Amino acid sequence: MRSPLTNPYVLILPGFLLAAFIILWPLFQLGTISVNDVNRFGQLRGFNGFDNYMAVFRDPDFLGALWRTFIWTGGIVVGALVISVPVAMILNEDFYGRSLARVIIMLPWAVSLTMTAIVWRWALNGESGMLNSGLRNLGLIDQNIQWLARASTAFPVQIMIGILVTIPFTVTIFLGGLSSISDDLYEAAKLEGASRWQTFREITLPLMRPFLNIAIVLNMINVFNSFPIIWATTQGGPANSTDILVTYLYQLGFSLGKLGEASALSIMMFGLLLAFTVVYVSLAMRRERA
Amino acid sequence: MSAKLKKSLLFWLLLSPLVVLILFPFAVMFITAIKPANEVLSPTWWPREEAWRNFIDMWAATNFGNALWNSVYVAVLSTVLALLVSIPAAYAMSRFRFAGQGAFRQFLLVSQMLSPIVLVIGLFRLVVWLGLLDNVNSIVFVYGAFNVAFTVWMLQSYFSTIPKDLEEAAWIEGASPARALAMVFLPLALPAMTVTAIFSFINAWNEFVIALTMLRRQESYTLPIQIFSLVAGRYTVEWHHVMAATFVATIPVAIVFAWLQRYLVRGLAIGAVK
Repeated sequence: MRSPLTNPYVLILPGFLLAAFIILWPLFQLGTISVNDVNRFGQLRGFNGFDNYMAVFRDPDFLGALWRTFIWTGGIVVGALVISVPVAMILNEDFYGRSLARVIIMLPWAVSLTMTAIVWRWALNGESGMLNSGLRNLGLIDQNIQWLARASTAFPVQIMIGILVTIPFTVTIFLGGLSSISDDLYEAAKLEGASRWQTFREITLPLMRPFLNIAIVLNMINVFNSFPIIWATTQGGPANSTDILVTYLYQLGFSLGKLGEASALSIMMFGLLLAFTVVYVSLAMRRERA
Repeated sequence: MSAKLKKSLLFWLLLSPLVVLILFPFAVMFITAIKPANEVLSPTWWPREEAWRNFIDMWAATNFGNALWNSVYVAVLSTVLALLVSIPAAYAMSRFRFAGQGAFRQFLLVSQMLSPIVLVIGLFRLVVWLGLLDNVNSIVFVYGAFNVAFTVWMLQSYFSTIPKDLEEAAWIEGASPARALAMVFLPLALPAMTVTAIFSFINAWNEFVIALTMLRRQESYTLPIQIFSLVAGRYTVEWHHVMAATFVATIPVAIVFAWLQRYLVRGLAIGAVK
C-alpha cells in the first residue's frame, strides 16, 4: 500500500531534521571555534591548531574542576546506589502506607533542580537558615555553621543534595528490576532453608546486576551534566572552590569570554559523554543477548 | 501486634531519615512562604502569625505573572513541537523495519545523553545567528529538539504494545492507511501520547541552563530564571516572597508528577532498560 504514511523515511524525517539541526550545527560550530583563535565576541581570527586545548590543560582552575567532577560524580552515583538498593527493596514489599512512602521518595524528582537548590540555599543560610536552628535545637551543634561560605562544607552539602535528587530515578529503575524477579525463586530458596542474606546475595543481587549497571551509567551521565545545584547555591564559588566542569565551562564561556578554551573543553566533554554512551549501549546490548 | 504492622513500623523507621531529609526543604519552603516580613530572618519553625498575604504580594513583587506566562508558553509550544515530529517517527520505529533504523536509534541515544550544557556555546551562536536571542521562541525550538529523543523513545515503547493486526484488519476492510491510523491507531495511542506530553511539559517547565543563557531581559524570563534572578547577586533577598513564588511554581507540577510517576516507571521499564 503506497502512502507517505507507510514510508518510514518520510515519517522520521521531521524529527531527525529538528534534532540534527539543533544538535549537529552547534557541535560543528564548537569544533570550528575550538581550533581557531577567537576573540570574546566570537570572531574567528585564524586556525591555531590545538592551542585552545593546551590552554585548557594549563589552567589550574581546570585541573581543580576536573578533580572535583570525579568526586562529585563518584560521590553522588555511589551514594545514590547505596541508599537506593535497600529503599527499593523496602518499597517492593507490602506494608502499610507504601504508596505514601513511594510518593515521598519520588518527590525530589518532580521539583526543578533550580528550585530545590534555591530552597536549600536559604535553608543553609548561616544566620537565619533553618538547618542551623534545627541542628541547634537537637543539640548537634552549638554554633551556627556558614555552610556555603567554605568549600569544605559547601561541596559535601551539594553532593548530599545531589544524592537526594538522584535517588528517585535510581529507585525507579530498581523497582522495575525487582518486579521482574519471579516469586518462585524466593519460595524455592525458602524451602531450601536459605537465610535472608543468602537469598539477597545469591538471587536478588545477580538478577539485579543489569539494572544496577544501567542505573550507574545513566546516573554518571546525568550527574556529570548536572549544573543547577552548584550554580544556584554557590555559582562555583567561593573562588572557584566548588566548580565542576560544567560550571567552569559556563564561566569560561559567558563570564570570562574565553570562547576558544570553552569550545575546546565542550568538545572534550562531548568525547567523554560519547564514551559513557558506548558503555551504556554495550551494557544494554549484552542484556538483550542474554 | 500483627506481623504486617510490625513490618510496617520497622520499614517506616528505616525510611525515616531519608523521609525527613526529603521533606525538610519542602517544610522550609512552606514555612518561610507564610512568615510575615519581620519574622523571616528569625529561624523559628512556625510564624507567630501566618502571613497568607505573601502569596498575593509575591505576585507583583516577583513579576510572577509574566514569568508564569512565559513558562506556560514555552512548555506548551515546545511539547507540541516535540510531539508533532516524534509521533510519526515513533510510529515508523515501532511498525517498520528499514535500513538505517539502527543508526537513527543510535542518533537518538547520543542526543539523549548530551545535555544542553555541553553544547551551550554552540547553541548560543545558533540562536544569535537566527536572530532569536532574548526571544522565548528560541528556547521553544531548543527544548523541542532536545525532547525529541525522549518522546520518540517513550512513544515507541508504548506503540509497540498496540497490536499491528488492528490496522491491518482496517486496511483489509478497505480503509486507507491515513484512515486506519486516525480511526484505529490514534485512539489507542492517546493515553501514551498524553503521558509523554506531560513529561515533556515538565522537562521544559524545569529547564535552567538554556533559559539562563538565551533570555537576557526580565520580560522574557521563565519561572526558574525569574526566581533565580531574585536570589543571585543581591544583597537583600526577600526570602518570604521567593519561597512563596517557589511554592506556587513547583507544587502543582509536583502533584501531577507524583500522580503520573508510575506511567513513567512503566515506560522506562518497557523502553529504556530494554
